[in-house]
Amino acid sequence: MSEANMSERAAVSIRHLSKSFDDVEVLRDVELEVKTGEVVTIIGSSGSGKSTLLRCINWLEKPDRGSIHIAGQRIGVHEDGRPMPVRELAKVRAQTGMVFQGFNLWPHLNVLHNVTEAPIHVQGKSKREAEELATALLEKVGMSHKHDSYPNTLSGGQKQRVAIARALAMQPEVMLFDEPTSALDPELVGEVLAVIKDLSAEGYTMVMVTHEMAFARAVSDQVVFLEKGLIIERADPETFFTTPKTDRVRKFLENHDTPSPA
Amino acid sequence: MNASAWHMLLEGALTTVWISAVSIAIGVVAGLVIALIRLARIPIVDQLLVLYISVARATPLVTLALFIFLSAPDLGLDLNRSVAGILALTLNTTAFNAEIWRSAFRNFSREQSEAAMATGMTPWITFRRIMLPQMVITSLPGLVNEMSFLIKGSPAIAVIGIVDLTRVTNRISAVTYEPLPPILVAGALYMAIIGCLVWLQRLAERRANRLAM
Repeated sequence: MSEANMSERAAVSIRHLSKSFDDVEVLRDVELEVKTGEVVTIIGSSGSGKSTLLRCINWLEKPDRGSIHIAGQRIGVHEDGRPMPVRELAKVRAQTGMVFQGFNLWPHLNVLHNVTEAPIHVQGKSKREAEELATALLEKVGMSHKHDSYPNTLSGGQKQRVAIARALAMQPEVMLFDEPTSALDPELVGEVLAVIKDLSAEGYTMVMVTHEMAFARAVSDQVVFLEKGLIIERADPETFFTTPKTDRVRKFLENHDTPSPA
Repeated sequence: MNASAWHMLLEGALTTVWISAVSIAIGVVAGLVIALIRLARIPIVDQLLVLYISVARATPLVTLALFIFLSAPDLGLDLNRSVAGILALTLNTTAFNAEIWRSAFRNFSREQSEAAMATGMTPWITFRRIMLPQMVITSLPGLVNEMSFLIKGSPAIAVIGIVDLTRVTNRISAVTYEPLPPILVAGALYMAIIGCLVWLQRLAERRANRLAM
């Protein structure tokens, strides 16, 4: 199969991705393929480049070299190397939905309008259509009762669930989760993980950076371990968590209370 | 004071209000445009804007109004008094507003705009739908403050012959020889105008509470 052909079939296809901040190489020749319906978890210690990798996928960070395709479409630059105009870039970005560590809800809009904003103003959906969709999504994340609340009145777990609904509202090819539970109080982590788990069961394609090992083991199809910008191990979750190939991963898992099989 | 004095006072108040309102409307938008242009940091353009802002902020309104009105004929411009007055007030207030908007841009959370871009919004939609509504709310105290400064500074345009709310009191007392009543009424009218602004500000503050995350 040719390379182009493979990119067309994958939800996300990352090739030879490299990125430096000043003199520090944060990503080195990263290759990653996410098939439609697959859940890929990126694991690594802080500073390993995992958030940067995730943020490159929707071009919030510009990689220095390499290519990223979302559902066969190149993001950020054209195949001939020309930078992509902002409108075109926004179109490809709309194929991805992102959930941030810090929620990043828009405080001037209530819960419902946080979810309808992009469908109305990016996709040009009618207000009614967007609100029907938003209501269904808020139902899915268990937040429909708060549709007219403002973000500052919500708990962290509630905010993150709204943020998930907001990202889903654009019906993206792939959902990107950047440490979605790291900013939450421990007792609120569960409600957010439950929502993400439901999504994986429904067949959403997801790429996730997380420190929740038990969760990663339970929902992932593929686990990728990043160390100093290099993918040093990738495997299915069973293999990854029970028989890691490298000492580095073994050590990492020891420090992270390797979960028992769910 | 007789009926014609009252009539003159109200006309003066109207002059102050409409000239100020036009200057405020242009000044708020122009200040935003300048702040936007300055974000791009275009060489030379940026320096010119900085120069304009420092000159406009350092020049007394009376001087500016006189300068514009008197230099216009030399530049081949036929400015009537009102246009010259509006120009002076606008040039002055725009410079202050540009700084208010610029600090709103600087303080705007990058995470907020990243969240917008991540949903596929273009920079323009992000600005219009996500940044601007929040910037308006956070900047309003500063902007309203500047608006009330402009209104209170507006008597300066009397120097080029505009009969505003302050100037008109002079005219009335020149006839009645009683300077106190018209000036008291003028003071009350100024307070009423500024009161409207303060009310607007209170409305904004109530909305601003929501932004405190």
